[in-house]
Amino acid sequence: MREGRVKSVLARFVTGQPLGAAGAVVVLALIAVAALAPGLAPHGPKEATFAPYLAPSREFPMGTDQLGRDLLSRVIWGARLSLYVGVVSVVFGITLGALWGAVTGYLGGVADAGSQRVVDSLMALPPIILALSLMAALGQSVDNVILALVILLTPTAARTIRAVALGVAGTPFIEAAQAAGASRTRIIFRHLIPNCMASYIVLVTTNISYAIVVEASLSFIGAGAPPDEPSWGGMLTAGIQALETAPWMVFFPGLAISLAVFGLNLLGDSIRDLTDPRLRGGLG
Amino acid sequence: MTSSLSRLTRLAALGATLLLTIGALALPATAQEKPRTGGILTWFDYGDPGRLDVHAESPLVVQQATAGVYSGLLHYDPDEPSKVVGDLAERWTVSPDGKTYTFHLRKGVKWHDGQPFSSADVKASFDRVLNPDFKSPKCGASLKPMVASVEAVDATTVEFKLKFAAAPFLPSIASAWCRVAAKHILTKYGDLNAPEAQIGTGPFKFKKYERSSVIEWEKNPNYFIPGLPYLDGVKQFILVGGPTQLAAAKASKIMLWDVWPPMRKTQADELARARNDVDIYQAPINTLFLVFLNAKKPPFDNPDLRRAVNLALDRQELVAKALEGAGVPCAILDPKLVGDFALPLDEVAKAPGCRQPKEQDLAEAKKLVEKHHPNGLDIEVAVRQVGNYVDRAQLIVAQLRKIGIRGTLKTHESAAGYAAFGKGDFTIIATQDRAMDISEPSAIFHIAYTTQAGSNYGQYSDPKVDELADRALKESNRERRKQLYWELQRYLLAKGDHASIAVGWVEGWFFKDKKLRGYKPGLTVYDNNTFMKAWIAQ
Repeated sequence: MREGRVKSVLARFVTGQPLGAAGAVVVLALIAVAALAPGLAPHGPKEATFAPYLAPSREFPMGTDQLGRDLLSRVIWGARLSLYVGVVSVVFGITLGALWGAVTGYLGGVADAGSQRVVDSLMALPPIILALSLMAALGQSVDNVILALVILLTPTAARTIRAVALGVAGTPFIEAAQAAGASRTRIIFRHLIPNCMASYIVLVTTNISYAIVVEASLSFIGAGAPPDEPSWGGMLTAGIQALETAPWMVFFPGLAISLAVFGLNLLGDSIRDLTDPRLRGGLG
Repeated sequence: MTSSLSRLTRLAALGATLLLTIGALALPATAQEKPRTGGILTWFDYGDPGRLDVHAESPLVVQQATAGVYSGLLHYDPDEPSKVVGDLAERWTVSPDGKTYTFHLRKGVKWHDGQPFSSADVKASFDRVLNPDFKSPKCGASLKPMVASVEAVDATTVEFKLKFAAAPFLPSIASAWCRVAAKHILTKYGDLNAPEAQIGTGPFKFKKYERSSVIEWEKNPNYFIPGLPYLDGVKQFILVGGPTQLAAAKASKIMLWDVWPPMRKTQADELARARNDVDIYQAPINTLFLVFLNAKKPPFDNPDLRRAVNLALDRQELVAKALEGAGVPCAILDPKLVGDFALPLDEVAKAPGCRQPKEQDLAEAKKLVEKHHPNGLDIEVAVRQVGNYVDRAQLIVAQLRKIGIRGTLKTHESAAGYAAFGKGDFTIIATQDRAMDISEPSAIFHIAYTTQAGSNYGQYSDPKVDELADRALKESNRERRKQLYWELQRYLLAKGDHASIAVGWVEGWFFKDKKLRGYKPGLTVYDNNTFMKAWIAQ
């Protein structure tokens, strides 16, 4: 019975949101590649044991890089790094921002006004400049990229969820809870936040691709993951130094970034369509 | 007899043909072409120098930024770069015991601000670099072991008293780092760091320094050699990173790439496809690629672990991949640069750490690591983000992983890296090229290996190394000197626990715009950067 229901929902999703379904396939493939990287990659991502600049061949389907590392292995391990950075930073950043926005939005007054000025200040800075400054201050490491992204994503999430929370706070069931004597904590965590979840999920899905692009951009300019980590952005940097000699060094990591971002964006857009009551196509 | 005559005739005919051909080739550059005045030469610095004190700093970019502004007592002849000739000194004499050098200075020379130049300026400059309390990693580091005192005999005569008769003295005085600064400027500013303090007697005046962008010189119309320089000025773009430098070269933004870092083969090939108005050539750059271990801090205060790293490094792979084959692996001295003072390369290739295949050395290195760290160890690997250092560092991290040393890269901006290394704030420096100040066998030992060496970042001290280097420096008999340097090289290679590890001598590819004339590459990367005789053909 339940299996039939799942199949029916999936079938309606595929027919109703064909682009979203395509995106989901790409994202599932990305997750599978990331999860199975140790088994899928023919060589270690840091193993520099082959000749440099080997063109794509049967032995090295994506060729080798300037240090003689198998590019296919690095691209596969790169999926793990990108996904790890994207998911962890977005989950932490958006969750933190959502809590901040929901709580201060509901409380109102000085707490809300003060926190919104902090959000204004953080959002006034161009994101890549803010990320660069943070990386310069924190130092190069994957964990610090995640921390920089968390700081970057939190104000956006706080602003968005606050707007949603303000809408929810004015609804009759919240007023009813207040009239029944529910505490603020209970109202926020039992009534307000669950009603902001749809927006939260949309924020998470749409921002993973953003986080992946920011990580790749930081690594591309040498301020992201350490250079020997298999980051797609870092691979692009190495590739542009031999653009004419070894174009595959740019092509394959570039393709990986494009596919991942494309898939995540398609899926994110579909989820937004499905959860937005003003748009048609909900799963009902 | 007939046959011999005929052979002689053929040889004579061949000789005459060769002479005619050489003469014809030489004509365009000499008799037919008169140097043209005007034009701006463009080239680049690999990073932003920040500070400009040529006596106190060691990065190439500092020397490059100020090279044409200053003169030395002596310098290397721009037309014949292996020959030491007078610059501010018209001539010099040496006492019979070889311990007193008297320099007779040019008369009528003026500083760029119009003040007269005199022997007091020479004394002030050399007293400054020889001051034991003043850190002078280039000029001071090379002269301090040799020079006892400097005296101004009169306004145009200066006398250097040496501690012993030293063969490297004149090449060291001619070094591009031993420039003469104005006494009144040193008094006014206290150092030579600021752009305003760049007052020299050289062919060009310091015009502009835009941080991280460009350094410009303009012609000194009162240069002490009439008619020179030919150029109106020199513009040095500050271009950080290989792709930026190559893009500028391909777009004809720069006319000359005869500087560190050299191009790699792939870059040279790309340039050759983009431009046909340049001459591209391969050459050594008189620079040693080194790895430094911090001998004052764990884990490399342990000689076993230093030995393990020395054994694990695969120099041949590093030269093949990081330098694309352009380099001399393992050598502490390069025979191409110092002739037979260098230990024969076939002997070097058998030394622990250099011998191939690597299995034996790797097994031994692994045992040494396991003896002290059964589960391996994690270290931070420092590297400056210049040239292709980051690529080299990744290879080194991969090689060390094979013996249980797990490295995490920590990248530094160029000047910040130098500052950290100078303070001993590192565990291992994955790669650092050290360019020779003079083309002389003593140079590398006084740069990287002796206790007082200017770039002894690892703060390692071995009395035997100091003693051998000192004896070789003082030895005037060439054969005995050679034997001492061989003994020193053999000792370093066999002991294998020094904190400065030679990976290989760097070579690479360079280019010169076909219109650029009157410029010849110096013996070291620092020499002949004044462009005093360079000119641009139409």
